[in-house]
Amino acid sequence: MLKFLKAGLLGAAVVSVAWSAQAADVADGENVFRKCAACHSVGEGAKSRVGPHLNDLFGRQAGTIDGFKYSAAMVAAGEGGIVWDEQTLTQYLVKPRDFVKGSRMAFAGLRKSADVANVIEYLKTFDEKMASTVGQEQPAEEEVETAMAETPALAADVPLPEHDGQFKLGRVATEDEIAAWDMDVRPDGLGLPVGSGTVADGEVLYTDNCAVCHGDFGEAVGRWPVLAGGQGTLEDDRPEKTIGSYWPYLSTVYDYVRRAMPFGNARSLSDDDVYAITAYLLYLNDVVDDEEFELSNENFTDIHLPNEDNFIEDDRLEEAHYADKKEACMTDCKPAPVEITMRARVLDVTPDSDEEGAGGEID
Amino acid sequence: MSDKNNDTLDKTSASRRRFLQAGLAGGAVLAGASAARAAGDPLITEVQDWNRYLGDGVDANPYGMPSEFEAHVVRRDVPWLTADPVSSINFTPLHELDGIITPNGVCFERHHGGTAIINPADHRLMINGLVDTPLVFTMQDLMRFPRENRVYFLECAANSGMEWRGSQLNGCQFTHGMVHCVAYTGVPLKYLLEEAGVKTNGKWVLAEGADAAAMTRSIPMDKALDDCLVAFKMNGEALRPEQGYPLRLVVPGWEGNMWVKWLRRLEVGDEPWAQREETSKYTDLLANGKARRHTWEMEVKSVITNPSPQAPITHGRGQMVISGLAWSGYGRIQRVDVSIDGGRNWQTARLDGPSLPKALHRFYHDFQWDGSEMLIQSRAIDEGGYIQPTKDELRAARGENSIYHNNGIQTWYVKADGVVENVEVS
Repeated sequence: MLKFLKAGLLGAAVVSVAWSAQAADVADGENVFRKCAACHSVGEGAKSRVGPHLNDLFGRQAGTIDGFKYSAAMVAAGEGGIVWDEQTLTQYLVKPRDFVKGSRMAFAGLRKSADVANVIEYLKTFDEKMASTVGQEQPAEEEVETAMAETPALAADVPLPEHDGQFKLGRVATEDEIAAWDMDVRPDGLGLPVGSGTVADGEVLYTDNCAVCHGDFGEAVGRWPVLAGGQGTLEDDRPEKTIGSYWPYLSTVYDYVRRAMPFGNARSLSDDDVYAITAYLLYLNDVVDDEEFELSNENFTDIHLPNEDNFIEDDRLEEAHYADKKEACMTDCKPAPVEITMRARVLDVTPDSDEEGAGGEID
Repeated sequence: MSDKNNDTLDKTSASRRRFLQAGLAGGAVLAGASAARAAGDPLITEVQDWNRYLGDGVDANPYGMPSEFEAHVVRRDVPWLTADPVSSINFTPLHELDGIITPNGVCFERHHGGTAIINPADHRLMINGLVDTPLVFTMQDLMRFPRENRVYFLECAANSGMEWRGSQLNGCQFTHGMVHCVAYTGVPLKYLLEEAGVKTNGKWVLAEGADAAAMTRSIPMDKALDDCLVAFKMNGEALRPEQGYPLRLVVPGWEGNMWVKWLRRLEVGDEPWAQREETSKYTDLLANGKARRHTWEMEVKSVITNPSPQAPITHGRGQMVISGLAWSGYGRIQRVDVSIDGGRNWQTARLDGPSLPKALHRFYHDFQWDGSEMLIQSRAIDEGGYIQPTKDELRAARGENSIYHNNGIQTWYVKADGVVENVEVS
């Protein structure tokens, strides 16, 4: 165990030394880019999605990718002379909406200057003009990798762990380790951290972190999930399943935002931030109507979502076609002739056909 | 061009030219027009390149890949289905496969936060919650438990989900390709839970992934102790990254979303956790506005993979094979029936290959095709006696908004020219 810890620390030390030895790092930039990847793609075959693609970015006039719907502000910025290069990108990425006021890019910005430098270095690798300037000062990458992928020591006489298991394998988890990973929250409130946040705080956080995909009012951008509205539509032809119309428990919102959101930058919000965003989502769904409302671990389980009682346990096997367990019919099972009642050709949404999907979804 | 070729008659250009010649000659023979140069198929009467020139040596491909002529056998996605490829799905090319085992490289993928890339040396599995001793295992620890080998299908609950409102996609890859079947090597989950010691009020297990979605599902303890595995190999080799390398949960017969990939934690509790993927998603909305939850088992289902829209009939009338797959989350498949007249009359198909519980079964119907159009269907019956329902029976019971668990009988319309289309019938 001690041996293991030492190896770990050593590895960390090597990594940090390697970092300080050079200015901007493509690999680190690739990590940073994950925050951007929810909306932007880059690399071979990259296409514009929620945001424009970022291939050959350097020297590009702002707001000029054909076919991408920019904000008027971004187009104007380009026409006003903004061309993307190391300097303009550095300014933009720190606080996008300060640099281009009215930019549709809802991303709040990169706080650490190292992140900005690294992500720019990463983007250079996808720019024909810049690629040659990248990585002249490669970090001691080999050294890092060797440290990470240490070969396990050969059979050593390590003491057996102290627990009652039959196989005496594994080791006892520490309290800190459990606290680091055990972040699930149940409908009865088990697992809620101490904390609080208001609707008003949540609105700011939501606008910075969530609106880019989910829309300013939870109405969603593109095919990203709709979060609000839809009440009373569950029996419709096209039900809209949102937190307010469908989700049974508020705990699921808190748990999910904390574990997996914002998409591409999970675990970056504080517990209080998550309370605030959850409170704002209640507000968007008309479950609370007061902007001063504060959600906390104290009042959390008092809140019930409207659709909670509409969930039932699995009773598929009671459906007639299963429950009857009749003999399968083999001859003359239906009147002749059998007619075609519907053809895929009428609404052909098979990939490579031209139609957009309209007939279904998978989640 | 010809000068250069004459100078350097390399293998590629030679083979390309011969291929062209053979194609032309073949076409002539088929058309029955002008006389062929030699009496017979030039592929036989003329020496072929591969019969003359040497091939690659043993180490040309240290990890072997399929033949270049199989390059079309790939997973495909339906881009409009989801917002972004990082949280999306693609489909197994069922119409190109045979037998019951799915090759690792074409097993369909479904991720919610992209493929996590994890060095096995950096991977840990924790067991905590209502246990006597919370434990942490390394991959090496896990490999020291007694392990088992089992063949299971894995089907996404949303497989065929796009077809609830009617036939929509032309290809069994798209209508039924969210399923695969591989041989897993892993440790029974029971051993791991027992190693930590489950407290008497421990009735549920929460499985959690290490990916950017930190995927979580609640699994009842009875199932966890019954046949679940914590697997590290598929079809004999390490899990593929997109299938959860280095560690995934195997939950036989139950919906694919529960088979948590990149498995890092198992928590024991006394109640389910109502996570996003078991409330907002993977619950089945009924026509009356109620929604079923905890719909875990994948019901009895089958599909004809050949012929199908991506695999039309390219031969004439006479002897032919209808081939397909059948499976049930409740156990083995007992029987598969095939109809060529839209479900009026049925004949029992031939099951071939291993018949394993909660695994794909391969069926064949060998018959004489008279060259006329057909409405072909398959209907599976599992060992519990459950019969695969028609799509109309399902809609009558559930409406059209369930998304998940569509196991209705599929109809392919085979035209006289061999072209196949996805249809629904009276």
